[in-house]
Amino acid sequence: MKTFTIAADLLREAASRRWFLALGLAITLILLVLGLALRIEVVDGALAASRLFGRTLHNPIRAADVALRPLFRAASYLIFYGGLLFGAVACADFGPSLLAPGRIEHVLSLPVRRFELILGTFLGVLVLSLLGALYGSTGLVVLFGVKTGVFTARPIVSALLASATFSALYGAMLAVSIVARSAALSAATGLALLGLGVLAGYRERVATFLEAGLSRAAFETFTLVLPRISTLADAASDIAASTPIDSGALLANLAGVCIYGLAALALGIHFFEHRDF
Amino acid sequence: MLALAIEARGLCKTYRGWFRSTGHEALVDLDLAIASGAAFGLIGPNGAGKTTFIKALLGVLRPTRGLVRVLGQSPDDPATRARIGYLPERLHLPASFTPLRFLEGVARLKGLSDISHEARHALTRVGLAGDASRRIGGFSKGMRQRLGLAAALLGKPLLLILDEPTDGVDPMGRVEIRTILAEERARGATLFLNSHLLSETERICDRIGILAGGRLVREGPLEALSGSDTRHRLRFAPGSDPEALRAAGLTPTPDPDVFLADTPDPLTLNTLLDRARATGALLVELRPDLRDLEQVLTDALTPPPSSRRSP
Repeated sequence: MKTFTIAADLLREAASRRWFLALGLAITLILLVLGLALRIEVVDGALAASRLFGRTLHNPIRAADVALRPLFRAASYLIFYGGLLFGAVACADFGPSLLAPGRIEHVLSLPVRRFELILGTFLGVLVLSLLGALYGSTGLVVLFGVKTGVFTARPIVSALLASATFSALYGAMLAVSIVARSAALSAATGLALLGLGVLAGYRERVATFLEAGLSRAAFETFTLVLPRISTLADAASDIAASTPIDSGALLANLAGVCIYGLAALALGIHFFEHRDF
Repeated sequence: MLALAIEARGLCKTYRGWFRSTGHEALVDLDLAIASGAAFGLIGPNGAGKTTFIKALLGVLRPTRGLVRVLGQSPDDPATRARIGYLPERLHLPASFTPLRFLEGVARLKGLSDISHEARHALTRVGLAGDASRRIGGFSKGMRQRLGLAAALLGKPLLLILDEPTDGVDPMGRVEIRTILAEERARGATLFLNSHLLSETERICDRIGILAGGRLVREGPLEALSGSDTRHRLRFAPGSDPEALRAAGLTPTPDPDVFLADTPDPLTLNTLLDRARATGALLVELRPDLRDLEQVLTDALTPPPSSRRSP
């Protein structure tokens, strides 16, 4: 199966791209600055005092794990939406560059099946997003774990949810790349889907602002097929902040997002199989 | 019967736009058979359909109609493509990679076992061993071309399809590439060359096809295409009488010692030679009048006078 070889090649290519080097550096820098500038004193499992850049942060004394919850919630939103935004822009070029004249003919002349090429690219980007999410979230968990003694895998699970959501976005981006071979259009698709996905998550609430009838029905129909990105972002933040969640609803939304991503990928493969280069 | 490396029968390719009912015919009923071990050169003007034909051979595009077989199999089969080495006209190379890393990637996709050794060996063959750790981004056009050739050579392919292999390569590099191609041929590989450099094609290939408007207008051994059965070139020692030779039935050329003889058969040729020598001229060379490939191409693309429209 050449799919994994292609995915590995994509990771090698990504390692030499400035976007991803910058992301890795930025995550490392944030973790380093936090690690060096943030001082937390924990007494008997309670957060007694904390200082950032030498300035005392006035927080009531409470259990360290409780005190960390809002922080992990904020970090979860940052990783979720920041990761999706970054991924939509930084990964937009992988599909079009694969289809670049002089490259695609060469790759297709090798003993690789067409679907393996697209599947490999999709998997490579998925692994890339997983690595980014895991690096940031694990760094955060280790940092606060060392400083407070509270080790929890919840922020990591929350980051994995962001990666799974990105797969839906990237499936659509890749399908558009195959049809149009444009990085700008691919990025625009990702960003538009992100915006619409946020809207789809609040569709019941937004629908009440529309007049009952044709416009509301049209809105509900349109948003019905969109991935519920904001719902998943909220669920991810709840997981990170140890807030109880409706696991059935989360699984349904997660399945919906995965089906959306796979359907977009299948459409992309279909176009690719029938396209001349 | 010789095994065929390339076989195309009734091959047609029509490019159609999304909103157009008619399309551009890039290949029209193309029939071609190339035996294994041959060195075939495809020439023709821009837009003749050469690249389209190459892409059809590789399964990169699907023919509208007709059959194409490579090494006896369909090019859609990855096992067939594993035995083909291809150098595109403008190979896109990852600028941040080293040539070694690029070749290792290609070797992995070709399913080779000792990828590092294969990649280094290919680099050495094309003269890039000393640049193995440099970034491709800093390579000249000629170096990129050599690297593309190295990628095509990986895995000892049975068929090498090369699109402008010496484009941008310096004269010494061209000699090296010709040597490599000769080695590949000696190994038993079939060469399929598409080049605008007709002199290169002439030197490397023994069989030529001329494509124009998607149709194969000439095809055959190089000698047959460029030679003539009825015209011979005669060189006389300096001091011959040009007027007497012309009177004997020879046609003068810009070179005062060289004359052309148009004769329908060997008997007439010898009679003419006897007449020429009777004038006191000393014959030092006699050979069939071979045209260069440029002339062959020009002749093939020039419509016969009867088909030209009068003004």
